[in-house]
Amino acid sequence: MKKQKNASTPKSLDSEENFRLLVDSVTDYAIMMIDPEGHVTSWNTGAEKILGFHSEEIIGKHFSCFYTSEALASGIPRNELDLASTQGRIENEGLRKRKDGTFFWANTIITPLCDEKGIIFGYTNITRELSDRKKADYTRSLIEASLDPLVTIAPDGKITDVNAATETITGCSRSELIGTDFSNYFTSSEKASDGYRQVFREGQVRDYPLEIRNSDGRVTSVLYNASVYRDESGAVVGVFAAARDITERKLSEERIKQQSQEILELSTPVMQVWQGVVAVPLIGCLDSQRTQQFMERLLDRIVETNSPVALVDIMGVPTIDTQTAQHLIETITAVRLLGAQVVLTGVRPAIAQTLVHLGIDLSGITTRSSLAAGLLVALDLLKLQVVNKSDNR
Amino acid sequence: MANGNISVIKIRDILLVTVPSDPDDCTVSELQEQVLSSMERHSAKGLILDISTVETIDSFFARTVSETVKMVALMGGLTVLSGMRACVAITTTQLGLSLDKTLTALDVDRAMELLSDTLNRSEGRK
Amino acid sequence: MNSHCKGEMPIDTENDIVMARKYVREAAVALGFGVTDVTRIVTATSELTRNIYVYAGSGIIRWHPINGNAAGLELVFEDHGPGIADVSLALKPGYTTSKGLGMGLPGSKRLMDEMEVLSEIGKGTIIRIRKWLKR
Repeated sequence: MKKQKNASTPKSLDSEENFRLLVDSVTDYAIMMIDPEGHVTSWNTGAEKILGFHSEEIIGKHFSCFYTSEALASGIPRNELDLASTQGRIENEGLRKRKDGTFFWANTIITPLCDEKGIIFGYTNITRELSDRKKADYTRSLIEASLDPLVTIAPDGKITDVNAATETITGCSRSELIGTDFSNYFTSSEKASDGYRQVFREGQVRDYPLEIRNSDGRVTSVLYNASVYRDESGAVVGVFAAARDITERKLSEERIKQQSQEILELSTPVMQVWQGVVAVPLIGCLDSQRTQQFMERLLDRIVETNSPVALVDIMGVPTIDTQTAQHLIETITAVRLLGAQVVLTGVRPAIAQTLVHLGIDLSGITTRSSLAAGLLVALDLLKLQVVNKSDNR
Repeated sequence: MANGNISVIKIRDILLVTVPSDPDDCTVSELQEQVLSSMERHSAKGLILDISTVETIDSFFARTVSETVKMVALMGGLTVLSGMRACVAITTTQLGLSLDKTLTALDVDRAMELLSDTLNRSEGRK
Repeated sequence: MNSHCKGEMPIDTENDIVMARKYVREAAVALGFGVTDVTRIVTATSELTRNIYVYAGSGIIRWHPINGNAAGLELVFEDHGPGIADVSLALKPGYTTSKGLGMGLPGSKRLMDEMEVLSEIGKGTIIRIRKWLKR
């Protein structure tokens, strides 16, 4: 801004004052002067209105406080002054920060001020807030930056808009996607159509599971969150749907499942304790799944080791109910079909009481209170005898 | 499935019968006939039904086997079912077929042992 | 692998029971079921195809993999026989009207994870059974 005469300025004021009044009367532009280092030296009403600082608060402060932290990190404020100095003027667009921390999209022109010798003694900075269209562009840039696939759907199920993440996950370009059926891009198109219809019906859906099929055949498991959006009159225009890739989550669920499977297997080791005798200590609660597991492992090991006797120790089973007893009886019956026999050991007093009270009949099954007693039964069944060496007379 | 698939071997006074792996209902019925007539012809005292290759036991098969065991008993013979696979034993139990009162053995060796023990004991008692 | 996992065959003769067992075994193995589950599925198949043969004379068995959140195998047994008068009674252990141990239906139900029986007197019977792949 060079000094200039304005026709409407009263002639009684000198040109300096004249200029100050002019600048101050501009409220749609933030006009400030900056010293060569970047500190604010003057501030107009427009700047106060747009950026939120009173002149006494801001004068002397560095003008970089209007920039985002990202811009500061890349040294943009300093660069702009340098560029303005070499080029004589710089104009750009970007995010600026108000005193209250909110951001707005702005156009800024910085011009260096030189004395007669050409030495820069400061800069003018004119900043104006940009229109709604620019704000929309900014929103758009955020949508494009989103890693979650976003899509808008018309009431007839056709795709009306997508972001870059949707292009990546489907393997189809924006122009291929727009105008086609939303449900085309999923393993189950029926479930996908049900999903967006539900949104139109109920206004929104949360965590709706679908599988997106990429054009290369890859399938991605996602959860959709979607809601309707409306025009100014409040009428529903379409559905805005955001997908979240849950492949990772599924993988970790798989891993947990696998681990609990491993724990299940670990918790029922079937050991060969003697030629012809296997033993399995049961620990914890016996549900159907564990019993299945345990039954299969025990029977496999009996066949593998050709053992006619299996010691099943229930010392570590906290309680026995009718169902658990049923599972045990089933196991014992299956073992008998193989041609082997189960000796149930570790029957604690409390368990014996429960079994009798529940009316569970284990009369056809050999039971012992301790594993040691059970082992003696097993050896006897194998026609073996434990002899004390010193008794060898 | 041809009847020829049922092999009947006589070892002293014991018959060893190997059941084919996936017999149809005819073969299963045929097996009963053949076992009973062989028991009579050889005056056998014991019978080993080796089912180690059998992959499926359904209720028809189980019924025929337990009937055969009873019939053999009526003819004065003792039957041992040998070599049932682990997966078959689990399935059979779950199906609700316990084959009660049928003697079982892990393999033919153990079945022979069990039969000669039991037969000797009953001989000794006489 | 899917060529084995899906199929159908008519049940008209006693030998068809053996063939059904064979095909269903191949399908169950191809889908990755463990040996015990394969035996369970094949045994249930044997029971239910024999029911068709004994009670209805003829019928059809279909099998196909189940995909989606859980994977498994579904088998459908369909006949136009006399039908079952009281399905819940037929599902009780020990109930039988013909040769067998009365374990056919209830036993098959125990061997599988799911079982549905649709039957109408004079029209026929459809039985659908499923087993899920446990991972």
